[in-house]
Amino acid sequence: MLRLIRRPEPITEETPDEALVRRAQAGESAAFRVLFERHVVAVRRFLRDLVREPHAADDATQESFARAHAELDKLSDADRFKPWMLGIARNVAFETRRVRVHEPLDDDDEGIPDAVIPSPSPEAALLDQELEQHFSEALGQLSAKRRAALLLRLDHGLSYEEIAQTFGWTLPTVKNEIHRARLKLRAALVPHLGGRR
Amino acid sequence: MSCGRSQFLEALALGQASPSLEAELTIHLRSCGRCRHELRWLKTEQALFRQRAGRDEVAHLWKGVARRSGLDLPRGVWPRALAALALGAAVLLAVGPWRAEPPSGLTAATVIVATGAPLPLDSETAMSHGPADSREPEGRSPMCSTLPEGLGFHCGPVQRASVVASR
Repeated sequence: MLRLIRRPEPITEETPDEALVRRAQAGESAAFRVLFERHVVAVRRFLRDLVREPHAADDATQESFARAHAELDKLSDADRFKPWMLGIARNVAFETRRVRVHEPLDDDDEGIPDAVIPSPSPEAALLDQELEQHFSEALGQLSAKRRAALLLRLDHGLSYEEIAQTFGWTLPTVKNEIHRARLKLRAALVPHLGGRR
Repeated sequence: MSCGRSQFLEALALGQASPSLEAELTIHLRSCGRCRHELRWLKTEQALFRQRAGRDEVAHLWKGVARRSGLDLPRGVWPRALAALALGAAVLLAVGPWRAEPPSGLTAATVIVATGAPLPLDSETAMSHGPADSREPEGRSPMCSTLPEGLGFHCGPVQRASVVASR
């Protein structure tokens, strides 16, 4: 009776992010809700690893999506929602850390081994909850910036170019930071690998 | 760490390598111990990240996002409210006690009232009514057939009020 406005196409699981972004930019809140549901787990996990406190991660997640909604019109490449969203989350995390804890955001290169680190067995590592705990602790020992870069590459699959754009770094800097982060991580894990090779 | 193929090995571990790159690396790995070593580390890191994934409780977070963004108006409120108003208006127009002039040409009009409440017999209310040869059962106003079912209207027996002659 009151269908004066033409109904938009229904949103499905196959609707790409690009289409959702355009519809959300046009004011369709349901489209933004779907973007939220698609990406909230990854964003929450990224923030959990950066701020390392569950309640702060929740708050930062909500703040990140609220900012994304407010600034959605600024996203010119609609198919870049994920890296753009993680970039906002990274900024929110760094603001949180700066407010809560006065720690340097940059790293020093102490503790990066020169020698080749013996490699583990991926299958054995999977079953080991203790190793996973050490892995989380080792991540926490990295500086926030280096940890963020490593997470964006290894956990969230962003390309080096996307990470460079997110951080405002050059490509060589991104590769170097991730390489160093990886070496530190491995060095921290080696004592706990034991017979898992 | 490897013989310069770290980035390619990384793509392989992340599942981002093209089929041709994957084929090339598979051949290379057979003869390069350093790359095999590096690939094992990459796969271990990947496995540990995957294992940690999916443990975040996120269902409760939308409320806060909606509140901060002003998106917390329940969906469909306005269309439903308008629909309810329109339906109410339609019902009122159909059954409301509107005054109407009886059709001209009638020498006598028998007032037929269909109502749940008795009408005083000395009422001079004149109402137009349906055609005399209405198919409604005897004593039932033709208007009854136009009323929607189940809305609390009761078409009671016809009551005759005072006859008002009009011309």
